[in-house]
Amino acid sequence: MHRHLQKIIWSAVLMIMGIGLLALYSATYGNVRVTQEVFYDQSLCALVGVGLMFILSRVDYRKFFDAAYIFYGLNVLLLLGVLAAGRYAMGAKRWMELGAFSFQPSELMKLALILALGRYFSNRRPSLSFNLRSRVGVVWGDLVCPFLMAALPMALVFKQPDLGTAFLIFGVFLVILFASGLEYRYLVWFMILCVSAVPVIWYFLKGYQKMRLLVFLNPNIDPLGAGYTIIQSKIAVGSGGLFGKGWLAGTQNQLNFLPERHTDFIFSVIGEEWGLVGTIVTIGCFFILAHSGLNIAQNQKDRFGMLVTAGIVAILTLQVVVNVGMVMGLFPVVGITLPLISYGRSSFMVFVLMVGFLLNLSKRRTVF
Amino acid sequence: MRIKILRVIIIGLFVLVAFYLGYLQLIRGPYFYSLSKNNHIRVVSLEGQRGRILDRYGALLADNRKVFEVVVIPGELKDREGLFDFLSQTLQVEKEKLLETYNQKMYASFAPVVVREDITRTQAIVIEENKFRFPGLLVQEDYRRFYPYKDTAAHLLGYVGKISRSKIEELKNYGYNPQSVIGYSGVEEFYDRYLKGEEGGMQIEINSRGEQVRLLGLKEPVKGQDVTLTIDLRIQQALTELLGNQRGVIIVMTLDSGEILGVASSPSYDPNIFVPKTNLSTSLPFSDSGSPLLNRAISGQYPPGSIFKISVALCALKEGRINPHRTFHCNGYYKLGEREFRCTHAHGDQDLIQAIAHSCNVYFYHLGLMVGPELMEKYARLLGLGALSSVDLPYEARGSIPNPRDRKIGYPKTWYQGDTLNLSIGQGEMLTTPLQLVQMMATLAQNGKRVRPHVVKSIGGLEVSQSPYQMISVDQKSLRPLQQGLEAVVSDDSGTGHVLAIPGLLTAGKTGTAQAGEGRSPHAWFVGYSSSGKNRIAFVVFLEHGGASQNACRVARDLLMRLKEKDIL
Repeated sequence: MHRHLQKIIWSAVLMIMGIGLLALYSATYGNVRVTQEVFYDQSLCALVGVGLMFILSRVDYRKFFDAAYIFYGLNVLLLLGVLAAGRYAMGAKRWMELGAFSFQPSELMKLALILALGRYFSNRRPSLSFNLRSRVGVVWGDLVCPFLMAALPMALVFKQPDLGTAFLIFGVFLVILFASGLEYRYLVWFMILCVSAVPVIWYFLKGYQKMRLLVFLNPNIDPLGAGYTIIQSKIAVGSGGLFGKGWLAGTQNQLNFLPERHTDFIFSVIGEEWGLVGTIVTIGCFFILAHSGLNIAQNQKDRFGMLVTAGIVAILTLQVVVNVGMVMGLFPVVGITLPLISYGRSSFMVFVLMVGFLLNLSKRRTVF
Repeated sequence: MRIKILRVIIIGLFVLVAFYLGYLQLIRGPYFYSLSKNNHIRVVSLEGQRGRILDRYGALLADNRKVFEVVVIPGELKDREGLFDFLSQTLQVEKEKLLETYNQKMYASFAPVVVREDITRTQAIVIEENKFRFPGLLVQEDYRRFYPYKDTAAHLLGYVGKISRSKIEELKNYGYNPQSVIGYSGVEEFYDRYLKGEEGGMQIEINSRGEQVRLLGLKEPVKGQDVTLTIDLRIQQALTELLGNQRGVIIVMTLDSGEILGVASSPSYDPNIFVPKTNLSTSLPFSDSGSPLLNRAISGQYPPGSIFKISVALCALKEGRINPHRTFHCNGYYKLGEREFRCTHAHGDQDLIQAIAHSCNVYFYHLGLMVGPELMEKYARLLGLGALSSVDLPYEARGSIPNPRDRKIGYPKTWYQGDTLNLSIGQGEMLTTPLQLVQMMATLAQNGKRVRPHVVKSIGGLEVSQSPYQMISVDQKSLRPLQQGLEAVVSDDSGTGHVLAIPGLLTAGKTGTAQAGEGRSPHAWFVGYSSSGKNRIAFVVFLEHGGASQNACRVARDLLMRLKEKDIL
């Protein structure tokens, strides 16, 4: 069973990486703004990533349990450091310089939070008692404490500003809360509270973020500015048809109509050049990954493993759905990468770690 | 349990995404495909060079001159301010003016904008040398219509200009687009479809910045066809000189083929001023009170005066009302009721030939009353008056022949005897164009053979086939006395056109002095035909408000002398 699952995960991941590299090659082919060095860089990342996944799948995952809080704490410090001394790029402070390398702590934070929340809830069983005192304890312990754990990095990421990642962190928090077995009524209350907070959040949004949300609602209000990206990527995906225009032959891509097509909008290259066949295969690979993750979670005897797996599946699914939805014009442009396909070392390596974790858990299941 | 719910949610999300992808790529696919195509393919039109216009011996009357243009490609422009500062300095033009032109004409980032046309060679070299400093700046060669003889044949040639909005609507199915250059008036307009180059085009692929990436297809534009006129430049120049500042018309046409050798209308204009794409002074000819744009030879309508007497004489002869020897007595006026209709002076007894030679009004008053207005109109129409000559030029006027029938629907309702008298000497409401009179005279000279006057000899080296001539139904017996009369005008010592008697030439014709309104000088006419051993021509000299017909006769004499000097007659 587990060997079978492992093979499936390995093949899905390699397939995704392969598709990603081919798409990236095309996206940078003849691109005036981005050189093909990006492609070689990502290829190197993929090689390193495959090795890393192989090693991770053989490490005792309990070590992650032990390190979860420290990892989380360090990550919060890094986020603070980014705000204090990060590198400015594209209107946001997201990068941390570490010698020759630079990376985004916000990407790493996703994994750190999953591990920390996983450890937090692994020690707690949601209370089923009915007296008032214990209810207050439940609300504090099961809801407020973990919420603060998520809210701190969320606020820091939001400040960068990186609305998309902040939203993802919140999504992961909700899913882990749900998976931990919190009573539905608490969940419902919590959701009502969140919705009523929306106007307050709107007040704190940056001008360009408000603009993006408005443009999402109607791309035609700014066809050459914020709406341009949505319109062009929609044209790219739609014009691909069933089989696409062929690799390196997408006109939207090759003639520079698609901005950011090597990072957030790489899915539009896949859609244009490989058509519906290419997009469904890509989405299918991600689905297989998510599905395998859920199989692992379902068969976990260990709550930490189950919660972490659920968190990983959640973040993977959310990123794929939001990114593809964004490219198709279904979601606002929020700067969320397509896992393992979009160019970006931080994002790529974090997902390598996550998949390595899945591989590890699929193996360890029998130990318990 | 919770994991199961999560699984359902996740499956749902993926299915939703997959369905929306299917919708976008399959159902809306063709729509987005066409959008992507519009995004990256542009068609740029290339205008073919316009055909030239030549005189009958190959002299260029309308040519295409190579000019240099300063062109800016908006998509490649980087240092806009610097570039226009530089251009302003080099071309000695205000920067604001250049910028205004640029802003007005720019419509797509890939489409070159002409900011200044017709710059000097030196300026072109300076710009070429500095091109590297300003991306998007180019010097381009273009061809520009050029009329080397300026106002010499302006009405005949017409001019070219950008197509007007109403014309596009009319002609868009015939290969014209809003950028097309089209001929206005004259040969340029009438033969536009031959002169016009065939439009070519480039299909180019562009990128998101509008830069050309590659050429997908090219259709070479085709040069328009050269048009050779029947005009002889030497004659044309002579006619222009003869008219000088005098308003009027001279037409010279070959008798047997109807080829127009020269046609001048004065005042004239320089057609070159209409050619530049940006010009402010072009309203000048429109506001001039002398109407220089009017081609008086075919669009001007004037009373023919005594020239109409020929038509009246033909009518009376053909209808058998008189024979050529019938005399009437002229004592200087004709009394109709209380009113006296005057003659120039008392001619005494006149037969038909004398009456034509002396242009005796009284004689023709008698003829007019004998035949009546209806028959006079019939013969006028037989000779081509009141109808188009079908010359191959645009905006020809018909003229008009008054008659009792039209009066009934007009004013003053009644046709009076006085109207008949007026008509019989070509006064009053009778209107003709100079060309109609030349055609009429040629028909009489050729014993009733009517040719169609025309100005174009061949197009693209191929002779233009002329519609066969018509014979009008007039017998020799009626025509001969007329011709004798016309000859007597010149040959008779007392003939009104005796100044035209030139040794070696056989000239005939008729003078006319047409009333042109109270207190204004009358129009002076001479219409005739002349032959030497070499050539036979018909011609008209018309001087607008030129005074007595003697003035026209003197010009006609100069004309014939010049033609003889130039060995044409």
